[in-house]
Amino acid sequence: MTHLADGKPMDGRPADVPSSPQTTSTELLVLHTLRCIGFSGLARVSEATGLPEPDAESELIDLAVAGLVTRVPGDFGGWGLTEAGRAADARWICEELDAAGARRAVTEAYDDFLVLNPEVLDLCTAWQMRSVDGVAAPNDHTDPAYDSRVLGRFTDLDRRAGAVCARLSAALPRFQRYRTRLTEALARVRSGALDYVTDDLASYHSVWFQLHEDLLVTLGIPRH
Amino acid sequence: MTWIHPLSAEAEATASVLGGKASGLVVLHRLGLPVPPAFVIGTAACRAFLRDGRLPGGLCAELAAAVSDLEAATRRRLGGPERPLAVSVRSGAGVSMPGMMSTILNLGLTTEATAGLAAETGDLRFALDSRLRFLSSFASAVAGQAPEDLEAVAREGGGEETRLAAAIRGVEALFLERTGEPVPDDAMRQLELAIRAVFSSWDTPRARTYRELHDIPHDLGTAVTVQAMVFGNRDDHSGTGVAFSRDPNTGERSPFGDVLFGRQGEDVVSGRSATRPLAELAGREPAVWAGLLEAVNQLEEHFRDVCHVEFTFEAGRLWLLQVRPGGLVGRAAVRVAVDLADEGVVSRREALLRVRPGHLRYAHTPRMENAGTLDVLTRGLGACPGVATGRVATTADQAARMSADGPVILMRPHTSPLDMHGLAAAAGVVTARGGPASHAAVVARAMGKPAVVGAADLTVDAVAACVRAGGRTFPEGTLVTVDGTGGQVVVGSPRIVTAATDSHLRRLLEWADEVSGGDSGRDEVERLTAAHAVLNARRDHDPPHQEAAG
Repeated sequence: MTHLADGKPMDGRPADVPSSPQTTSTELLVLHTLRCIGFSGLARVSEATGLPEPDAESELIDLAVAGLVTRVPGDFGGWGLTEAGRAADARWICEELDAAGARRAVTEAYDDFLVLNPEVLDLCTAWQMRSVDGVAAPNDHTDPAYDSRVLGRFTDLDRRAGAVCARLSAALPRFQRYRTRLTEALARVRSGALDYVTDDLASYHSVWFQLHEDLLVTLGIPRH
Repeated sequence: MTWIHPLSAEAEATASVLGGKASGLVVLHRLGLPVPPAFVIGTAACRAFLRDGRLPGGLCAELAAAVSDLEAATRRRLGGPERPLAVSVRSGAGVSMPGMMSTILNLGLTTEATAGLAAETGDLRFALDSRLRFLSSFASAVAGQAPEDLEAVAREGGGEETRLAAAIRGVEALFLERTGEPVPDDAMRQLELAIRAVFSSWDTPRARTYRELHDIPHDLGTAVTVQAMVFGNRDDHSGTGVAFSRDPNTGERSPFGDVLFGRQGEDVVSGRSATRPLAELAGREPAVWAGLLEAVNQLEEHFRDVCHVEFTFEAGRLWLLQVRPGGLVGRAAVRVAVDLADEGVVSRREALLRVRPGHLRYAHTPRMENAGTLDVLTRGLGACPGVATGRVATTADQAARMSADGPVILMRPHTSPLDMHGLAAAAGVVTARGGPASHAAVVARAMGKPAVVGAADLTVDAVAACVRAGGRTFPEGTLVTVDGTGGQVVVGSPRIVTAATDSHLRRLLEWADEVSGGDSGRDEVERLTAAHAVLNARRDHDPPHQEAAG
């Protein structure tokens, strides 16, 4: 990665990263989203970025030309980052953070996130497994009273998560997308799509998990 | 004293006052088993604190007196420069709420006391390690510092003593940054803050959520046990562990558990360190092993049920820190109930009552046959029930590729969203880190993949395309089997058993039919439930039977 180490911009580098740090360029947004959601088809990239599919695809193609992402064809195919793409993303997202002067605010929000994270995981676990006679059995979702108790706690937690998302969005507007996606997931659950708690790729847990990944990548913290 | 209860064989207060943990300690005392000296601040003080926002009047004076008693019993001084006393401060409600509330270890190790401990033991590394554990648990409980931040600080480099000293400064700096105040260097002040933190931890949103989901009232409050520390990290003849009187995976009558040499208790429970099978104690610390076997047998006799203890041994001397009876699930619970009846410990009717319908449903989960010939690769915590066999893949991309040729087991240090496509392609998953409520566990359950998490001795080397555990190396492509109930990962593909082949379950259900006069034509839960109905009706009419004791 000498071309990254010597400080010169790579081909395909979003030109507006240092100059207008408040708004993430579409190109970096697509690259970074793919970095945080993992290997995905176009539909998921579109959902996670909030970009229409043709726009997301156009950016992905440009990124592929620059050698930052690659597409695996076939039934289980999709888009993923190359090693060069991961390195470029780590660098640009770090530059964006510092250019926005947002490192301290994001670090503090991350601490608050870490307080909520075990509770999210507890709630997801309670949604999936239920203690019956002291035995943790899969929750078969035949007891609406139990499910609504779990969802009641989810709603309470989501309110507190909203405060963390608000702090993050104030520091870097691109984080706003997580608030939107978490709210959408919970709304779908309330309308009866129970997959949107933990199972769907756009479920509350999936989005939360991606937010966790995003915070680690943004702050340059290795996952241990 | 009003708020504080000394812990001894004579203690009379109930579990709702002392908490489950301290009640277990009273039983240990009564049986004459070795327990470090301790006192308990009862749940009433917690309720008063949560109601008024301050510690109740008179508690501080009682605390000073109780600490003096502890100092007299141990001939040590809390925070003293010579022969310092260190204590653990643990939560303990009347109802178990595992992992929800705070624990502080090695409290009282002020800067001066740490120097005193180093001088007394001639072991600076040990003293610094103990001080770091205090600071980490204190920062976590009192300042709400996330474990991720604390671990990151503790990993910083350098030689052993240099590293510990740097980590200590790091945690102190985190605490100062978060609270605006330094960690108090006065032992009594540390104790007061720790007690407040444990009381407050009763009311965290996470604890409230746990109680709502488990039907536990919010107004019980927690007790706080303050106990003289014993140091599992003291020397080569020290360590800590958990011991079951019977194997919790199978119910078989052989002591089972984990031991960690040279470490303190939280390391076992947290799953952050690689434990060794309990039986290794027999060779390394025969006296500790013998004492432990005698203790669990005595406790089984007392509770007339399987039980497990948390223990620590310091310089070759065994101490028991906690005991709980029961707690086995599924087929293991069935086997223990039937065996105890066969051994004449309980009647058949009590054996029937001890098995709940939920255990029978659970007993149908396929498990690996435990024939004693299993080649165990690693062990962790079962996170998604079921058994899966496949070839080891060490990256998500590799799992996706290899799955074209047959089932794959994805093994990762942890999981991130970057592993999702590998998880989707895999038949089962193993991670070195994480607990049953981790991203990896939630995702595995969402996808219905048998999963083992927190296999602490597992190292995944994606570059060399292999995994290492227990001193052995296994290349990618090795055939392994994952049991997402018991948390085992074994080499090869052992036989899988389901409830239909379980002789203990068959016998229990025959007993159920004898009681209910029913036949075996119904499903298992119906047969057991019918027997329970008859037994409960009889029990309502009979005077309380001696069996109900304990």
